[in-house]
Amino acid sequence: MRVIEVNDLVCTFGGNRALDGLSFSVEAGSVIGVVGPNGAGKTTLIDSMCGLVRPQQGEVRIFGEDVLKAGAALKSRLGVLPQETALYAEVTAIQNLRFAAALFHIENSQKRIAQVLELVGLTERATDVVRTFSGGMQRRLAIARALLHNPPLLILDEPTVGVDVEARHLIWAHIRSLKAKGRTVILTTNYLDEAEALCDRMLILRKGKILSEGSPAELARRTGRCLEITCAPDFSSRLRASLGSSRAVLRSEIFDFGLRLYLASEINPEEIIHQARSFGPIEGFRARSPDLAEVFVSLSSGHEAQP
Amino acid sequence: MKLSHNLQVFRAAMKMEWAQLCANRAFVILSALAAISLIVMVSLFGLTGSYAPVAVINQDHGPFSRRILEAMDHAYHSFALKFPPPETAEAELMSGRLVGILTIPNDFTAKIEHGETANLDMRVDNLNVDLTNDVQRALPAAIVANGRNFPGVRVQMEEHDVWPHDTSYISYLVVSGLALDAMLIAGILGALITAREWENQTLKMLRMTPASFAAMLLGRLVVAASAAAFALMVALLVIVQIYNVVPASLSSVLLALSLCVIIFVCLGACLGVLLKRTLTVVPLMFGLVMPFYVASGALEPARFDGEVIWRLAHLSPVYYAVGLLEWAFHGLHVTPEPIYMDLLILLALALGSILLALNRLSRGRVR
Repeated sequence: MRVIEVNDLVCTFGGNRALDGLSFSVEAGSVIGVVGPNGAGKTTLIDSMCGLVRPQQGEVRIFGEDVLKAGAALKSRLGVLPQETALYAEVTAIQNLRFAAALFHIENSQKRIAQVLELVGLTERATDVVRTFSGGMQRRLAIARALLHNPPLLILDEPTVGVDVEARHLIWAHIRSLKAKGRTVILTTNYLDEAEALCDRMLILRKGKILSEGSPAELARRTGRCLEITCAPDFSSRLRASLGSSRAVLRSEIFDFGLRLYLASEINPEEIIHQARSFGPIEGFRARSPDLAEVFVSLSSGHEAQP
Repeated sequence: MKLSHNLQVFRAAMKMEWAQLCANRAFVILSALAAISLIVMVSLFGLTGSYAPVAVINQDHGPFSRRILEAMDHAYHSFALKFPPPETAEAELMSGRLVGILTIPNDFTAKIEHGETANLDMRVDNLNVDLTNDVQRALPAAIVANGRNFPGVRVQMEEHDVWPHDTSYISYLVVSGLALDAMLIAGILGALITAREWENQTLKMLRMTPASFAAMLLGRLVVAASAAAFALMVALLVIVQIYNVVPASLSSVLLALSLCVIIFVCLGACLGVLLKRTLTVVPLMFGLVMPFYVASGALEPARFDGEVIWRLAHLSPVYYAVGLLEWAFHGLHVTPEPIYMDLLILLALALGSILLALNRLSRGRVR
């Protein structure tokens, strides 16, 4: 069953085309990551999905209903975590949740508030003023608020932005538990590792367009692996000339301490290292997944690995 | 279900606003103090102008000089008459503690008795031309008005009052000061409620709930209006207890004041959705209110100020509020429009403001 359908969405602010003909759909029970750098259009997409922005073209349907005509019934089925957390900082955590419970007309709200506070690990801080919370705690409280009315669809706009590593993993754990319960989650993130860790499918967004989409494994296959070889500066140029033409190498670049190679996903980096050593001395090497910036360069330069 | 949810949202919004006010207790206390401070400020216009110290040196001591001094003492003018020795008067005039010295010459009574012109010497500190003009206008007027009892003067003024009672300038000013208080304090509190939703970026969250914005906004406005009403009640207490200005009908005053608070809270809420920033609310309210106040019949009925100012005053809600409050407090009609018209215009402004605020909250840009 399709929970979200986005068709040919165009949003323009002034002369800037924030969303440029976006189309995709989300199946029930899946976790979808919208990944992109700042200004890619992630928040505009979330705002459009929430009916907060009126697009110039196209439509968003959630549970089959046009979000711009969304009534109370549809809003009751959505849990939204805005990027800004949108908490009342001068009152306590429990006062924030009581207010939200009233807005969502939740029966027996005390019990439900206790449950969500327990879920995000904030029971001990329930009566503390939100202003005194760390960024991570505020984010967790905002997630608790989004979960309060038990919505089948959660829209999380950068749920881990500005939080420390510990809080980030705690939030990941909450999102995984939601997935386990069969909830549909759509989240935006700047971090590729976050999307890989949580999502069934990723949409890579750039300048309001979908640059690429697929499962994390598919995308990794397309962008390949990154191999950094540390060597003397004069040797890195010769090495690039020797290895750069290989079919195994999608893209190469010289960096401060040597040569960086992007390899097709089926290539074993050790084979390349073996070849490199046959050309001359190397000081060391490191194989890793490409970061988000590297993925963008790979995808937009057309050097994708053949599936 | 719908009604019960709206009531639930209304109550929750009240509690949230109350919690936020409690978190800012100093702000509420300062609002009450601001209400008193504004009353004091406007009354100072009258108080300072009413008591310009003028020394009288009476060298005559005859019956006519005594009579003119007694008459001046009881007549309306803006001078506090003092009777120091001539040397002290001169020293005080030179040191700026006196506005002027009026000297009645030793032949004053004799000249009046003989039907001759009697000269009064007046030395004025013309440091401030405005004060000098006051002296030049008011002192001769007071002397001439009381000279009607002198032999040979045949012209008498017969006064027919429009109102059954006189209203002192201070009594008039402090009531118009309440209108200023209402607009400023209720307006700021109302504006903060709505502007805060944009500033704290909570509007996005509110939009994503099935709750009615009308119930949400009304719940919050009730609390803001209560806080403003508290501040105005403190100001009213000061007016009655300290200024000894007693309302003709306390119930009418309470009703009119409550209406003003509600109306200005609504106007403030509208201003808040237009500004979207709490930092800009306070200076803009002051910037708007002070000229509105001065041009709205605050110092005297606006129709006395000339056609242009009177027409401009109609743009200001304070004009109608002054009309309503002066009627409730002193039974005066200071606007040519009937009181019910003042009230209707205020209610229409409040209704329009609320509708615009609700529209912007539920449909306007969230960022």
